[in-house]
Amino acid sequence: MIFTIFKKELKDTLRDRRTLIMMLVIPVLIFPIILTLFVSVSESFSKEAAEKTVEIGVVGNPDNYIFEQLELLPENLGKKNITVYADTSELKAAIKVDSAQIGIFPSPDFEQSMQIKKPAGVTVYFNATDIGMKDRAEAYLETIESIAKQERYIEMNINAEQIKPLNVNYSNVASSKEMIGKLAGGFLPYIFIAFGFIGCMYPAIDLFTGEKERGTIETLLTTPVARWQILFGKMGVVVLSGLLASTFALLGLFLSIEVFDIVKNPEILNVVHGVLSPSFILMLFALLFPLTVFFAGLMIPIAVYAKSFKEAQSIITPMNIMVVLPAMVGFFPGIELNVLTACIPIVNIVLSTKELIAGTLDVGLLGLSFAVMISLAVLAVVISYKRFDKETNVVL
Amino acid sequence: MIEVSNLRKEFSLSKQQQKELNTKDSKAIAVNGISFTCQPGRIFSLLGPNGAGKTTTMRMLSTIFKPTSGSIKICGIDVSENPREARKKIGFLTGSTGLYARLTPNELIQYFADLYDIPKNVCAQRKEKLYTLLDMHDFQGKRIGKLSTGMKQKVSICRTMIHDPEVVVFDEPTSGLDVITAENIIKLIRDCKNEGKTVIFSSHIMSEVDLLCDDIAIIHKGNLLYNGTMGDFRQNMEAPNLTAEFIRIVNETKTENA
Repeated sequence: MIFTIFKKELKDTLRDRRTLIMMLVIPVLIFPIILTLFVSVSESFSKEAAEKTVEIGVVGNPDNYIFEQLELLPENLGKKNITVYADTSELKAAIKVDSAQIGIFPSPDFEQSMQIKKPAGVTVYFNATDIGMKDRAEAYLETIESIAKQERYIEMNINAEQIKPLNVNYSNVASSKEMIGKLAGGFLPYIFIAFGFIGCMYPAIDLFTGEKERGTIETLLTTPVARWQILFGKMGVVVLSGLLASTFALLGLFLSIEVFDIVKNPEILNVVHGVLSPSFILMLFALLFPLTVFFAGLMIPIAVYAKSFKEAQSIITPMNIMVVLPAMVGFFPGIELNVLTACIPIVNIVLSTKELIAGTLDVGLLGLSFAVMISLAVLAVVISYKRFDKETNVVL
Repeated sequence: MIEVSNLRKEFSLSKQQQKELNTKDSKAIAVNGISFTCQPGRIFSLLGPNGAGKTTTMRMLSTIFKPTSGSIKICGIDVSENPREARKKIGFLTGSTGLYARLTPNELIQYFADLYDIPKNVCAQRKEKLYTLLDMHDFQGKRIGKLSTGMKQKVSICRTMIHDPEVVVFDEPTSGLDVITAENIIKLIRDCKNEGKTVIFSSHIMSEVDLLCDDIAIIHKGNLLYNGTMGDFRQNMEAPNLTAEFIRIVNETKTENA
């Protein structure tokens, strides 16, 4: 009987345009849209930065050491145009109106300090809202300083190696998969969880509150089917809808990478190929299943209690924030899966998935997360049953 | 056959409901110890004004609500002890058609046939008979949401009768329907009687009751004010017509209570 109810409810749900859009269309489109936007925006930013000619304003004579060195800097440090300004106030005004992006003011005793081999003062003016300009100025001045240093070594007859006691080599032992997994891996579970929740929402309201509102539940309850069977049949469709929304989000990711060829970065592609492996998908769904049952179990008592679609929607929609906020912990690099975080619902699924992507998952902690979610899912089902069994909640 | 004995139903009131109803009672009595019997091959009408307790009684008969006390027997089966067996004997129809708009009549009838566990060949025979009787062949494959109210009512009737129930419960079956559509229901009630089924229907329309019923019970504020045959009711009338008599009986109770 559960299957008969499940089959009918699924057919009914799949014929609801609103549910189909939330469960199928949006999840499939989300990854292609986000990735296209992300790739095109970042590409246009780096292209613009590389092609942009930086206006550099210098105060002082054109035979100044800084001026001379700036002119000699290679083109690969970025295109530039140097203009001489009479004083610093004129230079600062030019930066404010963006006719210059970097201002360089060598101190009045600059040439003298250079000659007596003392640190020569340079003030760099920039507008912090003009992103990337401070970095560009730092790159120019570090190059000039390094040239000046080499000149002093030669003049003072010093071997540069002798005054460099340490030769430090920083070597990263983390694989690119691990790094991308840890840094950006929180994004994937966030999307799967958010869509799992949204996917459950409309069917839960439609199959419980909607049926009550339309008066169909009354006739269903007069059939010789136990209430728990009706509940399980309906709940099965709610859970399946949530899982389908997550699956379609995954399908959207697959299409973005394999069909639309949106991402070109080989390291990211490598990680995503790892994510799309059958074993990862299996593990992901093993984690998402109890979570989706938990979501369904949270929504059903509300949907059973509510008297109208609108009322149910107004209670369940704000719950979305309660789900989305803990799902965002995946974005913070410092938070890791441990005994405490494995006991916090949603957070444990996000962190487990993140570790799964990075390939650093602890089986014990995964088991604990799974056990916590299963227990909560069972509790949610029991609460749903108690609510559904209460006669005044079922009929208006 | 339906046997109802000392049936009582109480609902707990929340603080909000107590405020709305302007009462300090934590419970509301919807049905207050009523007893009656509905015989096979006869039409029993439960008559009462709005809020009298008709729908609560009908919901208890069809096992949607559990009685607070008292007993209901459907074809000898106690509904509290064995609700699932009792449900197999009951067909339930309300005025609001209560159909799934996104399904077709064929899909809906098959769904309910499956819920009643009717064998495929039996279901096919009954479906054909009912479709012919109700002239449903033309719209059997259309989505219910796109059907007219009359067509929907026919689907509703077919759904109620697909498991060939021995007892048919009609809760205000014609409320909100036009006379042409209501005629389908009136015909169904008569057919049920002719087939020897036990029929109970609740209504507040006296003309409908006059047209159909063999036995009558008048309910008001959860109490049974009258229970007898329609013939006796007519014979002992103090008012000039049935509607006036119904109003007189209800008002008499109001005066007694005051």
